[in-house]
Amino acid sequence: MTKLSALLLAAAGAATLAAAPATAQQKAPLTILRVIDADRYDPIRSTATAAAEVLYMLADTLVTVDFDMKTIKPGLAESWTISPDGKTYTFKIRKDVKFCDGRPMTVEDAVYSLKRWVDPANKSPVSFRGGQVKDIRAEGDSTLIYELNEPYSDLMFQMALSFASIVDKNAVESMGQNFGVQGFNGTGPYCWVKWTPRQELVLKKNPHYTWGPSIYKDPKPQVDDIVWKIIPETNTLMAAIQAKQADVTYYMPYIALDTMQKIPGFTVQRQENYIYDVFMGFRVDKPVANDKAIRQAANMATNKEAISKAIFFGKGQTLPSLLNPAVLDYDKSSGDKMPKYDPAGAAKLLDEAGWKPGADGIREKDGQKASFTVYGIRNSDNPRISEAMQADLRKVGIDMKIQLWDATVAWGKLATQEFDAFLMSYPYVTATEALNLYFASRQVPTPNRMNWKDTKTDELLKAAATATDDTTRKQAIGAVQNQLTEANVWVPLVSQPLWVVATDRVEGARAHGLYGAGLYKGLDIKLKR
Amino acid sequence: MSSVTDQIDSATGAADAAVVAAASAPRRKSAFRMLFSDVGACIALVLVVLAILAAAFAPWLAPTDPYGNDLANTLKAPGEVGLLGTDGQGRDMITRLLFGLRTTLLMGLASVTFGCLTGGVIGFAAAYYPSLSGILMRMMDVLLSFPAILFGLAIAAIFGPGLTAVIIALSIATVPLMARVVRGSALVVLQQGYIEAARSLGLSDLRIILRYVLPNCLSAMFVFVTLRFGQVILLGAALSFLGLGAQPPAAELGAMAADGRNFLFFAPHVSVLPSLVIFAVVLAFNVLGDALRDALDPKLRK
Repeated sequence: MTKLSALLLAAAGAATLAAAPATAQQKAPLTILRVIDADRYDPIRSTATAAAEVLYMLADTLVTVDFDMKTIKPGLAESWTISPDGKTYTFKIRKDVKFCDGRPMTVEDAVYSLKRWVDPANKSPVSFRGGQVKDIRAEGDSTLIYELNEPYSDLMFQMALSFASIVDKNAVESMGQNFGVQGFNGTGPYCWVKWTPRQELVLKKNPHYTWGPSIYKDPKPQVDDIVWKIIPETNTLMAAIQAKQADVTYYMPYIALDTMQKIPGFTVQRQENYIYDVFMGFRVDKPVANDKAIRQAANMATNKEAISKAIFFGKGQTLPSLLNPAVLDYDKSSGDKMPKYDPAGAAKLLDEAGWKPGADGIREKDGQKASFTVYGIRNSDNPRISEAMQADLRKVGIDMKIQLWDATVAWGKLATQEFDAFLMSYPYVTATEALNLYFASRQVPTPNRMNWKDTKTDELLKAAATATDDTTRKQAIGAVQNQLTEANVWVPLVSQPLWVVATDRVEGARAHGLYGAGLYKGLDIKLKR
Repeated sequence: MSSVTDQIDSATGAADAAVVAAASAPRRKSAFRMLFSDVGACIALVLVVLAILAAAFAPWLAPTDPYGNDLANTLKAPGEVGLLGTDGQGRDMITRLLFGLRTTLLMGLASVTFGCLTGGVIGFAAAYYPSLSGILMRMMDVLLSFPAILFGLAIAAIFGPGLTAVIIALSIATVPLMARVVRGSALVVLQQGYIEAARSLGLSDLRIILRYVLPNCLSAMFVFVTLRFGQVILLGAALSFLGLGAQPPAAELGAMAADGRNFLFFAPHVSVLPSLVIFAVVLAFNVLGDALRDALDPKLRK
């Protein structure tokens, strides 16, 4: 089988190579392959990771996150201080920064961009990430004051996300709704050249850029041109990389990674600290899903280890807890409380809870079948993950109906009250961010699709979000992790790995992964030829 | 009065039957002879019969549980685990193909049945009642202007993806085609003298249609159904390939082909085998339909 796949790969590669014989001989732009495009590239208007991965190259943020995904490092802000009450952040802004059009960036640009992000009038879907803002203002020519109504322990990590990118006020106002569609002007290492939706986005080096974050060896971009190319079909993407028609991707199908590692001329690297988790959430106010015994049995009956190995071909990491153990403020004790794989125990639990097997093998209680419907996005992994879960749950007498939707309608369907459970994957940087996003009662019905409304949870989440010291925050968010784990609101499944595959033309590419952005700023990358 | 009409009707019917029998006795023989003298048609017939038998007896023929997974044995090559290997969930491919064929044929059968019955009624009505012909056939023209895939997408968007959505879409797409075929055949039959005689004897419209028009249109309808069955299977598989058809864990050949496309370079059998089965079944129905058309065409038999 391995021989056959190697032969097929080689044939596909040769065929594609033959179609473009001259490409490999020329000094070509750095071509990055991905499977999906964003709807737009305005930082405050798109939540898509496909937008973020390009925006990090087009624009900068006040602070950055190191490769460990835990340490905040300077970005456009050289330094910062936080007031003892945790409400006032004072950033010292660099003075040597220029936009792509050559205009020097001022502190007023930073104030404008951050206000634009959090201003309710702009109806940004990510404005909540900026906290309860009282005022954002400039003091002098290099100081930015970010004042909050209440402390917000997650603010620095949120400031590092692409939503808080600093953009050129003039460009935004002149382009209006077309900003990030027809053009862009930022202070990132690369500048906007041309976007052909669902085909490619072309960038060129920002000639002024010397202020790259210290997480990179070289603060200047080394590549003249970058093309982000869309290839929706992963087999074609794989063949294109194999034929060296493109240079780098982190959308390589997991099944191909072992083969790619064996082929000379390619480097394959993994970001160990990448956080992009897959889980199934229960809607706790729906019949069947509202029974804790069902939820716990689902957690016990699902063979997460097998799913991780079979669906992600050994490249995934089983999630042993509600949150990823690599995340900031992960609570280990909550992980210990997560039910372990035990189908026999699950069946016993259901028996004790009064769910008795029916004639068709599906359990029943008070005339109600142990059946629930799961919604999700029809991507490359969800069908296989959900089918594996479905078979596992069927073994203990739970009927899980699967309804996966095309991405174009899925988000609309996931905002309805039609389903009993849902399958989702998401990136996050801190435990406080993840749980505030999904479990605060103010977030019902979306993204709190569980309809989880609990006063204690809300209090603890607020305590964690407004904590001014690490200990208080950890305790509060740890308590939420324990509470939610005991309630079995989620079936945590797998942490999706980030693997960057590059050809031997590329050196210095290092996997980052902040909010799904595998190459982050793209610095240190050089082309050999 | 009624008994008199019945007697006349009976007599006319018997006379007609005799004429038809006299005319058709040698014809039926030659039609069968012509069908069976075509090697391609015989192979197609055998394939169709085998496919129907395999689908009907799938629960007894399948070596394993079609819905039980084995994640330790996913994507095994043919011969490695089971005769035809395993799919992405570690399920035996033979089992999945048998159940997939069952779902696909049932989908085709349901769609063709509903579509042809409705289309047939509309076609006869349009032919028999000229006043209705205009509006009915313009409605059919409107339906014809929508591709079946578009129907599938629209219905899946309203009711959600699933086998029911595909059956509804394919049935609707079949209605105007059947209506046209039936109307065309019925118009020819309605020109015949025995129809005029039946009318003059006072037979009811329904009786004339059921007794004289329908039997004389059956050969055209039968050919259409056979050919349409192959088309419907192909369209249904295409809709399932797009994720609009059978939902997991149900096996369906189009959905199985779609599932395997992510592993095309590494485990091609997951996609190729169901595709081959679709190919063989559709080809068999098409060849059989063509052969039937030739066999039932008196001009060709000459």
